[in-house]
Amino acid sequence: MIRFLHSTSVRIALIYALIFSLSASVLVGFVWWRTVGYLEQETDAVILADVQAIADRLHDFGVPGAIETIDNRIAAPSDEYAIYFLGDSALARIAGNLTAWPAALGHETGWHQVELERNGQLHATRMLYARLSNGFHLLVGRDIQDRMAIRLLVLKGLGWGSAAASLLAILGGLLVRRAFMTRLEAINRTASAIVRGDLARRVPVRDSTDEFDQLARTINGMLQQIEILVDGVRNASNAVAHDLRTPLTELRGRLERILIARPSAEAALCEIEDAVASLDRLIDVFNALLRLAEIDSGTRISGFGAVDLARVANEVADFHGAVAEEKAVAFTSSVKAGIVVHGDPFLLTQAIGNLVDNAIKFSPPGGKVTLAVEQVDDRRASVTVSDQGPGIPDEEKSRATERFYRGKTGEGAGGAGLGLSITAAVARLHSGSLILTDGNPGLTATIVLPLATHPPAARSDRFA
Amino acid sequence: MKILVVEDNEHVAQFICKGLRENGHAVDRTATGRDGLFMATTGVYDAIVLDRMLPEGVDGLAIVATLRKTGSNTPILILSALAQLDERIRGLRAGGDDYLTKPFAFDELAARLEALVRRSQNIPAEAVLEVGDLRLDMAQHKVSRSGRPIDLQPREFKLLEYLMRNAGRVVTRTMLLENVWEYHCDRQTNAIDVHISKLRRKIDDSSLPPLIHTVRGVGYRLGGGD
Repeated sequence: MIRFLHSTSVRIALIYALIFSLSASVLVGFVWWRTVGYLEQETDAVILADVQAIADRLHDFGVPGAIETIDNRIAAPSDEYAIYFLGDSALARIAGNLTAWPAALGHETGWHQVELERNGQLHATRMLYARLSNGFHLLVGRDIQDRMAIRLLVLKGLGWGSAAASLLAILGGLLVRRAFMTRLEAINRTASAIVRGDLARRVPVRDSTDEFDQLARTINGMLQQIEILVDGVRNASNAVAHDLRTPLTELRGRLERILIARPSAEAALCEIEDAVASLDRLIDVFNALLRLAEIDSGTRISGFGAVDLARVANEVADFHGAVAEEKAVAFTSSVKAGIVVHGDPFLLTQAIGNLVDNAIKFSPPGGKVTLAVEQVDDRRASVTVSDQGPGIPDEEKSRATERFYRGKTGEGAGGAGLGLSITAAVARLHSGSLILTDGNPGLTATIVLPLATHPPAARSDRFA
Repeated sequence: MKILVVEDNEHVAQFICKGLRENGHAVDRTATGRDGLFMATTGVYDAIVLDRMLPEGVDGLAIVATLRKTGSNTPILILSALAQLDERIRGLRAGGDDYLTKPFAFDELAARLEALVRRSQNIPAEAVLEVGDLRLDMAQHKVSRSGRPIDLQPREFKLLEYLMRNAGRVVTRTMLLENVWEYHCDRQTNAIDVHISKLRRKIDDSSLPPLIHTVRGVGYRLGGGD
C-alpha cells in the first residue's frame, strides 16, 4: 500500500479525486445554504418578530391587547402553520391555539424543536419560548413538518449527488492515472528496449503538441543523436580496422623481409626509410581520426570565438598557392573582407585547406582552381572551392564525406580518404554544411557557415 | 647542452637520452615528477623535456606551473600523448615553451630543443641577420646576397628570417609550418617543400655555393652545420 502511494500516477489520481470531491462538497454546501438553510432562517425571523409584536401589545394594551393580536393571527387564513400560546404565571392558558402548555417543551426559555400532536398526528415544530413581564409565558412557533419533508428530500438528493460525484472523482482519477501510465509505459518500454540493445527504438508520438508528445520528441531527438554517435564510433572502428590493418600488414612484411633476406646495409637503410615513411602516413591517418573524434564530440565549441574568414582563406591561399604554381595549375582566390563567423580558426583553416589541397591535387596541368569567400545573405557566408578535375559522380557524392571513402576518381591519389570527412565534420560543428556540386567539368565544394551574430570589436587573434 | 629528461616510460626515455647523447648533449633522466621538479630547480639545465602524464599523480603541467612560479625560465618542451588542440594550448599556457605529441620523430625533438635553447639565450632581436654572404635587414625589409638585392614576397621573407635565426640548425617542416604560417595541418603536405624550393631559386643561384640544405627525412638547414 505504501509502495502504491509512492507511485506518482496514483498520487496524481488521488489528488484529482480529492480536489473533485472538495469542489463537489462546496457546491452541495452552497445549495444547502441557499435552500433549506434559507427557509430555516426565514421561519426563525418570523417567529422572533411575532414574539416581539405580542410582547409589545401586552406591554402597551395589557392582556386584552395581546389576546386580540393572537386571535387575529390565528384567524388569518395564511398562517395555518402558526402556533401561539400565552399563559399566566402558573402556565394556565390565556390565549392561543394550543389547549395546554406542551409537556415536551420543558421550562427553558429560548428556541426549541419539539414534536406536537396536531390534527391527530405528531408534527415537528419550531418554538420560541419567552417569559414576559408580570410572569406571563409566551410560546410562538411554526409547524415545520412539511419543511422537514423538503429538508429530507434535499438531503437525500444531495447525498445521492455526492455519492455520484465521489464515484466520478474516483473514476476520473483512475482515467487520469491510466492516461499517465499509458504514455509513461510507452517511454519506459522504449528505454528498456534500448537498454537491452535495440538502439533503433523510438518513443511513439501522437499527432498532438501536448507535453507528453513534446517530451517524446525531445527524447527521440536525443536517441537519434546517440544512435548517430554510436554508429559513427562503430563505423569508425570498422574503418580503422580495415584501413589500418592493410598498411600495417604491408609494413610488417617489409620489415620481416629485411630480417629474412638480410640485404646489404645500404639496401636495408632504404627499406627502413620507406618503412618510416609508411609509419608517418599511418600516424597521419591516426591523427586525422582522433581529430575527427574530437570534432564530432563537440568539445571544441567551448573555445569558439570570432574568426575572420578572409584571414583564414588568405592564409590557405598563400600556403597552397605555391603548390598550384608548381603543378602549373592556375589558382585564383577572390575573398570578400569583413566576413566574421563564430568558430575555431584552426579547424576552419584545416577544412578550407583540405578542399584547396584536394582541388589542386585532382587538377590536370593547366587546369583552374578558384577559392571564393562570399556573403550569401544576411545570415550566411560561403567558402567555395572549384576545380576542373574529374569531379565526383552523383552516385558517389553522398558517400564522399564518409570516413575512408575513396571514389573511383580518388583512387591512387594518396591520402587516407579523411580530408572531406574532416571538412564536413568541421562544417557541421559550425552549424553549417558542406555541399558538393558538379562544376562541369570538375567539382565545386561549398562550405556554408552562419555569420557571427555579434560582430567582434577587434580582429580575432585566436590564431594560436 | 645539459638537458633534463622527465619521462616515466623506459623505452621512450632510452630512445630520447641515447639520441641526445649522440648529438653531443649531457643528459640526466628521472622517471618521477617529484625528482624531476627537484632536479629542475637546481637550475643547471639548459632545457627540460617533460612528459605530460607522470606516475604518482604528479601532473606534468603542475611541474611546469610550479617551476615557473619559482622564477625558473629554463625552456621546457612538453611531450604528450594527448593530441587534442586544447591540450596543446593548456600546456603552453601553463608555461611550457613547446609541445610535441607522441609519436614523434627524434629529429623533430632535437631540432625543437635546439631552437628553444637558442631562443631562450637570445640576445635582443638583431635588426640585421647575416649568414655568410646572405644579409637580411629587418627594418628596411631588404635581402641581399653578395651585395646583390633579392626581391622576396612577404611570406618568403618570413620563411627566410626563421631559417636565418636558426642558421646552422635543422628546422623541421612542422616547425616551419607552425612558425611561418598561421596554418596548422594534421596531414603531411609537400607545400612546405614547394615554398622552400621557390625561396631556394631566389637565394641560391647556380653561381654561388648553396645555402639552403635539405636534411633528408627531417627538414632543412640554412648554412653549414655547427
